[in-house]
Amino acid sequence: MKNPIWEIVEFRKTKTKDDIFNVLKNVPIFSDLNNKELNEVEKIIHRREFKKGEPIFRMGDPGLGMYIIIKGAVNIVEENENGESATLAVLKDGAFFGDLALLDEAPRSASAIADDNCDILGFFRPDFLDLLYRKPKLGIKILFALSKIIGERLRRTNEQLTQLQKK
Amino acid sequence: MDNYSFQLYSKILKLFWRVFLIILGIAALIVIFPYVRSVVMMFVISLLLAVLLNPVVDFMESKGINRGLAILITMMLILGVIIFSVSLVIPGIISAVESLTSKLQSDVITDLNKKVEDFFAVNFNNAELARNVTSKVNEIGLKLLSNMAEFFKSVGSILASVAIVPFITFFLIKDIRQFKRSMIAKIPNKYFELSLNIFQKVGNQVGKYIQGQATDAFIVGCLTVIGLFIINLVFDNPVSQFVFIGMIAGVANLIPYLGPVVGAVPALLIAIISNPPNLGIVLIWIVITFVLVQIIDNSIVSPMVVSKSVDMHPLTVVIVVIIGGNIAGAVGMLFAVPVTGIIKVTSKEVIWGLKNYKLK
Repeated sequence: MKNPIWEIVEFRKTKTKDDIFNVLKNVPIFSDLNNKELNEVEKIIHRREFKKGEPIFRMGDPGLGMYIIIKGAVNIVEENENGESATLAVLKDGAFFGDLALLDEAPRSASAIADDNCDILGFFRPDFLDLLYRKPKLGIKILFALSKIIGERLRRTNEQLTQLQKK
Repeated sequence: MDNYSFQLYSKILKLFWRVFLIILGIAALIVIFPYVRSVVMMFVISLLLAVLLNPVVDFMESKGINRGLAILITMMLILGVIIFSVSLVIPGIISAVESLTSKLQSDVITDLNKKVEDFFAVNFNNAELARNVTSKVNEIGLKLLSNMAEFFKSVGSILASVAIVPFITFFLIKDIRQFKRSMIAKIPNKYFELSLNIFQKVGNQVGKYIQGQATDAFIVGCLTVIGLFIINLVFDNPVSQFVFIGMIAGVANLIPYLGPVVGAVPALLIAIISNPPNLGIVLIWIVITFVLVQIIDNSIVSPMVVSKSVDMHPLTVVIVVIIGGNIAGAVGMLFAVPVTGIIKVTSKEVIWGLKNYKLK
């Protein structure tokens, strides 16, 4: 069992801005931003706590934005029509998911369920679009980084497809 | 007690407490409301101003101006426009009121009294009844004037409260995102994405609607002023009175169907008070001007600037305007359509959200 004194200290520690900055800096979408720009991002992100087993979003829900795990683990689960589910990935501290939803409202392709008690940051499309209008330079930096990630994924998918076709 | 009965009992108990707490909350609001009404009004006005000014501030911020400075610049500009408009309009109102007072003291009332007395004398052969009627009419007139004094007193107290509005507006525009974020933060995880999505969509549509209505009112006001200049009415204080009429026409235009008629009344009244030799022709020109402004507004301006998301059936509009009028008079009529629009957009988005999000 944890000592309550240290629990409080830990809680305070995780609430500091510097920690959020460090988490954000390690996310490729925000890695090129300076502290001033990260401060602007920090103003529009939402911090949420999820209990073990609690859904963060469900497959088929309209996509709204991306999540970054500060602490905890998240299962990415695909569910079929019979209600059976298959775990696609288990994401841990510092990982991010749902980033495609920053671009459109297409339904989520999988569910995200907290595998442990989680401390999570949410960065959502309406706030991102607002930022893009108010701070175009910063918005373009984030958009460019997002494009690079999507481009990289597309390249890998293309390679895998080519390999499959060769077989 | 078996398991099923226990679950049912606990559900009923939960529901009872929920309903009880909601009723208690509503009762508390009703009790508290009279004490906080002025604060609520100030907050609503500030919120409206914030919604109207936010796009300008966002635009300045996008050009690299610090948000706080952008708000100050915008508010100073608006203050300048208000001071300029008031100083422009006041002489017109004063001259119209002076003209009205002198007319009331002299010919109009005397003429009217004489006409009524003659009418009763000829038709009923009863001069006593005629005198009673005219004295009653004069009494009502005096009461109306004293009520107007009371009205202006309350306007004074409203103006005093309005001094606080700029402060609230400043912080609402500056920290609007933090306010939204702290409101959303209280929502349980299950409803978080749904609420955030609905909140943003409703906010956007309502914001656009209010901005569109304000732009439409401004353009209708300008068109009215231009129209009155073109027909070249001979008023005591033309520029000032034209702007005053334009302002009323613009604001009244916010009430669909009824507004344009109400907007034309001050122009017709001032013309009647001025009593030019060709009064009939002047009145016809005023009506033609207002009809033309309406045609331009309905066919060009309104479709371009007012959001279609809150389109309502004409019958719905008439009903809500009457209800608004019954609840809060002219202010109620002014706010009836926007409030119904907000309710409509919110319900539409909530239904969309409930259909599309898996909440179980």
